[in-house]
Amino acid sequence: MSPEVVERTGPPRNRPELSDVIGTSILAIVGLFAAISGFGYGVTVENGQVGPGFLPMVTGGFVFLASLAEIARLYLSRAGTTDGRIMRTVEDIEAHAAQSIGAHASSTPEPDADGSLDTFGRNEGQRNRAPFFIFITFGVALALAPVLGLLIALALAVLFVLVIVEKRIWWVSVCVTLAATAFVYAVFVVILSIPLPAGMLGLI
Amino acid sequence: MIENLLLGFETAVSPENMLWCFVGVLLGTVIGMLPGLGSTTGVAILLPITLTFEPVTALIMLAGIYYGSQYGSSISSILISTPGDSSSVVLTLDGYQMARRGRAGAALAISALSSFFAAIISLIFLIALAGPIAHFALNFGPAENLAIILLGMATIVSFAGENILRGITMAAAGLLVSMVGVASGFSTARFTFGSVNLLSGIDFVAIMIGIFAVGEVLHQIRRGGEKPIRARFKDLIVTKEELSRSFPSAVRGTGLGFAVGVLPGAGATLATFLAYGVEKQVSRFKQFLGKGAPEGVAAPEAANNAAANASFIPTLALGIPGSGTTAVLLGAFIIFGLQPGPLLFEQEPDLVWGLLVSFFFGNLILLALNLPLAPVFAQILRIPYPYLYPIVLFMSLIGAFALGNNTFTLWVVFFSGLLGYFMKRFDFPAAPFVLGLVLGPLLEKYLVQTSALGEGSLLIMFQQPISAVLTVAALLAMGYPLVAAVIRNLKVRREGRAAVR
Repeated sequence: MSPEVVERTGPPRNRPELSDVIGTSILAIVGLFAAISGFGYGVTVENGQVGPGFLPMVTGGFVFLASLAEIARLYLSRAGTTDGRIMRTVEDIEAHAAQSIGAHASSTPEPDADGSLDTFGRNEGQRNRAPFFIFITFGVALALAPVLGLLIALALAVLFVLVIVEKRIWWVSVCVTLAATAFVYAVFVVILSIPLPAGMLGLI
Repeated sequence: MIENLLLGFETAVSPENMLWCFVGVLLGTVIGMLPGLGSTTGVAILLPITLTFEPVTALIMLAGIYYGSQYGSSISSILISTPGDSSSVVLTLDGYQMARRGRAGAALAISALSSFFAAIISLIFLIALAGPIAHFALNFGPAENLAIILLGMATIVSFAGENILRGITMAAAGLLVSMVGVASGFSTARFTFGSVNLLSGIDFVAIMIGIFAVGEVLHQIRRGGEKPIRARFKDLIVTKEELSRSFPSAVRGTGLGFAVGVLPGAGATLATFLAYGVEKQVSRFKQFLGKGAPEGVAAPEAANNAAANASFIPTLALGIPGSGTTAVLLGAFIIFGLQPGPLLFEQEPDLVWGLLVSFFFGNLILLALNLPLAPVFAQILRIPYPYLYPIVLFMSLIGAFALGNNTFTLWVVFFSGLLGYFMKRFDFPAAPFVLGLVLGPLLEKYLVQTSALGEGSLLIMFQQPISAVLTVAALLAMGYPLVAAVIRNLKVRREGRAAVR
């Protein structure tokens, strides 16, 4: 970068992460929706007192404007502008600790053709996919609860995660699932007398 | 005061309360140790189990889980460099380094001793201050209460760190979620989209189970793990030098932790980082920090426990939670038909003082458990996490059902878990969101009342001295970081140009 350009623009701008921009944009849309809805609910009532729409309008408007300001900050802020703040020391320590945790976590895995394995025996690609498989599994279990019953549906989800997602030994997984189900049944159904939905099967 | 303490002592030492206090701290230690499961998750998941208890017994057990998990999360930070809770993150710097140098047992012992010291000192201050503050707060009207909540929100903003705007936005987003359902003081349904389930609002405990249990566990799965370092019984002996170096740090950590913890919204995590930062400035052995210095264990641990106790002051005396976990505890109070705040001290003295006195016994049990038995607890870290987390998710969902008694709550937990996972992954802070969520209904209630008192004008907040001071303090706390950020940006830009010239 030539001196003339630097003089005109100052220190280089930060390059924002796409995920930051998308996440903040979603917040901006939610804020705008809330602010508009606030007008519909009635911002004030008699004597100009605060109405049911006042807080949604103010908070939604605030979220909208703050999100826009955050997006502007992400694109316009310059490297080095965070120095000299009260919280800088805290953030430095936080970053150091996070770096240290990351360094230790990556020090143990053994090299693998597909990346590095963690203590769960997964490479990076599998690590990224695992949360979604687990979410989908438990989502399907909740959807099946009205048919199978909550306890059975969730127990099957646990078994599925252990055997298919985590690739654990099947009979150990069955034992773990049965033990967990028996514990939950004993605590919530027998001791606390909470009627869990038994579904169309009506078993437990 | 003596009379109240005796009443509290009488309540706390009943066999039933002592038993559940023991169970609470034991479960808290185990839960705190498990990666991704902190005190908030522990209290939220186990809350349904206490539903059939007497309120005081339930709260003693839940509080035991809270401070028990503070001890437990230190064990995993020291032995596997994986904090059980965000308040133990800083412990991975020196605690884990001590463990790698063969001083794992000493690090665990220093952690337990500092925690106990801070807990007892802060408990004395908590007992001395909570009553008078509650008594003083009896004179507060809607304007004062509104000003305190605004100050709490401002604290979140002030300590939001680099992403001030993101912190504020998340707090406001939490407020928006709290507005779902029939408006406080009105009959208008907001953001319900025609759903009957949403008319009574979204249960914030269900959202917290989703964010802190489901979201954190899934984030942990993505992160991977570390093999634990073995700690032996004979290693638990702390040398005289380690002890003498740790003591001043523990004293400083306790003072700082208490001061930060008493502020609504600041929390124990911030206290631990600040305590470590202070050690880096003032410790005689600051050059060893980060390389396995006992000061780096003692100060954050003391700050953590002092802040946890201090956060009960705004929770009990004002009804405003000081941290995420006290927010769930606030929910527990409400489930048991109790409203934390100044009147609680008048109406339920045996409960309040019994709870506070139980902290002493709980911490004593924790010290007795942790000093000799930390290596035994550490064996739990050897259970493969893939077997643990599906059970945690199972328990979380069943627990949430028990709280809400409908399947809709399960979907709230499910989607909050998804939200929590993305918040964690993309660094959107959860604490401001949760505090906004919890403070939202109170904020609106006092806002409507203040507006009615002022006949439509909110300037009434500046007409009473207490509310005026608090409101001005809130406005300053909220405005200062933003103005300072803009000034800094301009200054750096100017300096950049000057350097080129």
